[in-house]
Amino acid sequence: MAEEKNSRHRHRSMVLESMYPVVALMLVLFACVELCDAATVVDVYRLIQYDISGVPFGSRFSSLNHHAASLSFQRGADLSRSVLILPLRDLDIAFVQDYISQKQSLGGLLILLPQMFRPGNIGGGNVISETQGLRILLAQLEKLLVHSNIPFPVYFAFENEGTDAMLADVNKNDALGQQATATTGGYKLVISVSEPRKIASPTISNIQGWLPGARADGDSNQLPTIAVVASYDTFGAAPALSVGSDSNGSGVVALLEVARLFSTLYSNPKTRGRFNLLFALTSGGPYNYEGTQKWLKSLDQRMRESIDYAICLNSVGSWDNELLVHVSKPPENAYIKQIFEGFSNVAEDLGFQVSLKHKKINISNSRVAWEHEQFSRLRVTAATVSELPTPPELLESAGSLSDTRQHVNDDAIIKGIKLVAESLARHIYGHQGKDIKIFADDSSLAVNPFYVKSWLDILSQTPRVAPFLSKNEPLIMALKKELEDYTSEVSIQHESLDGIFTFYDSTKSSLNIYQVASVTFDLLLLLVLGSYLIVLFSFLVITTRGLDDLISIFRRPPSRKMKMA
Amino acid sequence: MTLFHFFNCAILTFGPHAVYYSATPLSEYDTLGTSVKAAVVYLATALVKLVCLATFLQVSETEVFDPYQEALKAMIGFIDVAGLYFALAQLTHRNISQNHKFQAVGLGWAFADSVLHRLAPLWVGARGLEFTWDYVLQGLEANANLVFTISLAALGSLMWLRKNKPKTLIPIIYTCAVIIATMPSITSYLRRVMGWHFPKVVGFELMTSLVMAFISCQLFILCQRPSL
Repeated sequence: MAEEKNSRHRHRSMVLESMYPVVALMLVLFACVELCDAATVVDVYRLIQYDISGVPFGSRFSSLNHHAASLSFQRGADLSRSVLILPLRDLDIAFVQDYISQKQSLGGLLILLPQMFRPGNIGGGNVISETQGLRILLAQLEKLLVHSNIPFPVYFAFENEGTDAMLADVNKNDALGQQATATTGGYKLVISVSEPRKIASPTISNIQGWLPGARADGDSNQLPTIAVVASYDTFGAAPALSVGSDSNGSGVVALLEVARLFSTLYSNPKTRGRFNLLFALTSGGPYNYEGTQKWLKSLDQRMRESIDYAICLNSVGSWDNELLVHVSKPPENAYIKQIFEGFSNVAEDLGFQVSLKHKKINISNSRVAWEHEQFSRLRVTAATVSELPTPPELLESAGSLSDTRQHVNDDAIIKGIKLVAESLARHIYGHQGKDIKIFADDSSLAVNPFYVKSWLDILSQTPRVAPFLSKNEPLIMALKKELEDYTSEVSIQHESLDGIFTFYDSTKSSLNIYQVASVTFDLLLLLVLGSYLIVLFSFLVITTRGLDDLISIFRRPPSRKMKMA
Repeated sequence: MTLFHFFNCAILTFGPHAVYYSATPLSEYDTLGTSVKAAVVYLATALVKLVCLATFLQVSETEVFDPYQEALKAMIGFIDVAGLYFALAQLTHRNISQNHKFQAVGLGWAFADSVLHRLAPLWVGARGLEFTWDYVLQGLEANANLVFTISLAALGSLMWLRKNKPKTLIPIIYTCAVIIATMPSITSYLRRVMGWHFPKVVGFELMTSLVMAFISCQLFILCQRPSL
């Protein structure tokens, strides 16, 4: 008997033990199944977060889990556990400025941009004056946000039907005074990402292409070189949206087209000029042109000394009649005079105007306003061709949110290309002052508008903030390959972006919008269900056992137990 | 908060079964074994139905009401009735009166149906942050289903277990049983062809279940009189 009992016990314990892993697995499975069933999921782009010499700027947080609030909130309401949703059209800069400067606590800020600012949106049909007003407002907002230290997450999103419906609802509720909190229900916005981390060693990649000129037999002297340079990276309030179509997508496209034209010319030995051509796509533009400086320093000294002059291209995409040539050497300098005369002759032929602008370099100031200043600091003659009349401030006009494809004029870029190409060609082939058009339309050397358009489209859909670009970024590889097609030697130089700037990651996330019910609702439901079950219970007892039984259940429980025993 | 909602919907879906068991004399006569056996029979029936549906039914991409497919589904639905017959008539129960037997079988059947069809969606869906009325409506549907199943079990016990029935009532019994058995087809017809939304369908089910319960109760009482 005892043996039987023992074996039964052992059998039971074995069965139980084998159940443990199954039970554990089930528990783990149940705990893991937390499906994300939000009504709306929206792509959001975070405000940039960076430090300059340790001083923090931008939005310092990234994760968000608060209720939604709108501009119709009652004065004096506490918004420290709410996310304020601001559509750009109703934005009041002073209000945002107050909030930031007075350090009022806010759970988060979500700025809704109209669809026209979306990269890749070519759609027109917007009222021009309204668009202008919005662009100016957006530029002001960006300037404010980029230069402030904001202790809550700030995100940008594009308007769509889901967000419009939610905003209308939130507005209605706020106007009635029922602000969304844990006890009153409403909309909950959740962005679940980890805390942003520093980007360890951001790299900047400079791409250079070398097109050698024709050496006469027996000529052992180094040929002179002309450099054409453009910086391709951007900086903006939302790094994942910073496509910089004009600053400096237009410059990059112009450089590529000039390279293409000259490679056609130089491919035939009879038309190869007596100058080498050096094309460089530099990075690190917004950060005092650090990439250009490092690239120049890495060049061989002899090569650097052989550079006759360099033309830097910066924002040539939205001008009408006047293009500016910025120099740092005084205009009386012979070289500068020669370069500028070349430009103005060609411009006259093409039907527009160029002006010369001189800005002295201040050696003690570390701020580098134009790319040509990096050349001038190393004693290379250089000039920047740009539509901007004044140099941009640090971290401005380098690819802001309002700099989209729609506002770049292809014809302006083509005119700029013709200017640079013709003046270079006249200098190289010695046709100064003569009225000869080498890159005439309808010739085999005409500027190709489709090439310009397609490259501009690609660049306008690729955000190019340097710290977020890896060494083998597809864009960098594509630019390298393009230069390889047109030049004979291409090299990429990777440098690390050291110095005073530090960047943090987490630039793009998804926002989940949930419609939640309040706790009061749940409690009410529990009450209703409880009373329903009690009523059901009483009804069943009464109908099947009689009313006396129901009363007896509640009156004499002990005696019932005694009866059962 | 969301687990709260899950708890609410769970007690709405499964509470009535427990309440029914404890409130009626079923608990006094310890008919739990019968209910468990009925639940197991339901599981087997569900498996057989699944296999038949997979074999004979064509899956259509659109939500078009195809009368042939619906007729086929209704036929397969009668496997349900066969299962209920098996549970009522063929299984040996302890000495329980017929009155309690159909209630216990119906209860076990409905409980297994609720668990199989509603527990998983409830667990996965009701715990999320997003609030919908779906799970409350599903719970109400479970309640209606309980009443339907008990009525069907009552009519089934009348049809198969009771030998001497008044002649006039037999057709009524059979029609009521057919109506209840084809309830799923009727609701899917309402949802697809008439375009009724879920709340309306659930309301309709609740009302019909009360009506059917009343009718089968009356039939049961009427059938009981001559034998006494």
